[in-house]
Amino acid sequence: MIDYIALSIGHFLLAIALLRLVMRDGLDVDPLLARFKANEEERRKARKAAGRAARRRAQGVSEPGPEEPVA
Amino acid sequence: MMGLIFLAFIGFVLLLGVRRPFLWVLLYVYIDILAPQRIGFGLIESLPVSLIAFLAAFGGYIVLDKKEHIGFSLRQGLLLALLGYCFWTTGNADFPVSAQEKWEWVWKALLFAIFLPLTLTSRARLEALALTLVLTIGMIVISTGMKVTLGGGGYGNLVFFVDDNSGIYESSTLATVAIALTPLIWWFTRYGTIYKPHWTVSLFAVALIFSCLLIPVGTEARTGLLCIAALGVLMLRYTKRRMLFIVGAASLGLAALPFLPQSYYDRMATIAEPGGDESASTRVAVWMWTLDYASRNPFGGGFDSYKGNSFTYEMPVTEESGNTTTVERRKVTDKARAFHSSVFEVLGEQGWPGLIIWLSLHGLGLLQMERIGARWRRREKAGELAEDEEWIAPMATALQLASFIYLVGALFQGIAYQPVMLMIIGLQIGLNSYCQRVDSARARHALDDRRENRPNGGRGGVKARSGKAAIGSSSPDAVTA
Repeated sequence: MIDYIALSIGHFLLAIALLRLVMRDGLDVDPLLARFKANEEERRKARKAAGRAARRRAQGVSEPGPEEPVA
Repeated sequence: MMGLIFLAFIGFVLLLGVRRPFLWVLLYVYIDILAPQRIGFGLIESLPVSLIAFLAAFGGYIVLDKKEHIGFSLRQGLLLALLGYCFWTTGNADFPVSAQEKWEWVWKALLFAIFLPLTLTSRARLEALALTLVLTIGMIVISTGMKVTLGGGGYGNLVFFVDDNSGIYESSTLATVAIALTPLIWWFTRYGTIYKPHWTVSLFAVALIFSCLLIPVGTEARTGLLCIAALGVLMLRYTKRRMLFIVGAASLGLAALPFLPQSYYDRMATIAEPGGDESASTRVAVWMWTLDYASRNPFGGGFDSYKGNSFTYEMPVTEESGNTTTVERRKVTDKARAFHSSVFEVLGEQGWPGLIIWLSLHGLGLLQMERIGARWRRREKAGELAEDEEWIAPMATALQLASFIYLVGALFQGIAYQPVMLMIIGLQIGLNSYCQRVDSARARHALDDRRENRPNGGRGGVKARSGKAAIGSSSPDAVTA
């Protein structure tokens, strides 16, 4: 009887835990590491955009940009 | 009936694993520890459930699981070296048949410990493995604890789910593993996310820890008492109010004394007087024999090489005749006495190279857990911790304590290849790899910070908040301004 009680408690808790794990987003992809990765990606994009803008500004000194009125 | 319930549970996990293959890894952990095929009757006895779970765990990982961040750590290399070395000694064993028998379960345990960290890629997975270990061993512990509380127990008298005195179902091994897991059980009361901190979780954890502490009492395993003592001493390091802890522990111990049976006192007395007990008195003789054997066979004699030992020693034998009790010292010849210590087990079986690998494996684990604990505690004090990193230092500490307690127990039992402890090693390696990934992400983040805060470094003025605040935030948007 004692063995049945112990096995039932353990299996019940394990089954609930496994069900919760199946429905959990963070099981396969860690949220903390994913956040770091997303930040890196965002920064990389921001750097690229900033670089492009800087290049455009530098080019704008010698030749007019497309939106500037041509004399 | 029981067999069908086990089969239903295994089928349920196999089904869930189709969506999340990692669950098959947990299924193998559960089957390997509990051995339901040895508890139930009927169909489950004839089905190779352990093999099915083993293949599902490996196959699921290879075919279905995401394989990001695959790395092979130094400790996995040590496990692999130990596996290879054991294979070689098995081929050259003094007792080939016995060696082959032991090899058949040791290689699986070692291979699984090497494989396990590859699957532990997230906090949820680390926690899931820890919870599966705790709950599976918990089933054995709850049953044993209840039997002891209701008056059962005694050395060799306690009946477990499987009554063959092997693996986790050997009383001293169970006592050691149960005590080693207590810090991890407590970890769940504060940092669990599968079962979030709640009074019900705390109540269950307290009851489970109490049951763990009852195992050495119920089984009268002397090693278990030493493990409890080791746990008490080690806890002092992490206790803020040390005097209160000492007084509390001493009071609890004293309060428990009247409830302990006389047989428990008699057995524990042999710790101080090993000469009065055959099991204890032969240990020293076996250890001396092993040292001598290793000097003649420095590369080991393969598994179960102890079978070649034989020695004669004197032991007190008590005889009662009427009202007279006489104690006589008689010569006893013993053959094939087991090593009774993991250190000597590895030395005798794998020689000095094997022992160096085994000790390095455990020593490195203790150091790595210490380093992780210290680093994340330092970050916590400096306020540099993200909200979902608070669990790391306490888990490292719990795993370090588990290793310490296991090593104390292992000094007096041949449990060098105990699968549960190899799984805990896998968990330690997984945690270390996870922390390395967090560290390297932090380092890249800090480098970006420096680059962007340099004059003209931002090339267009992309400014980032300080790494501390950015990582501490739960929103990725907070990092870039």
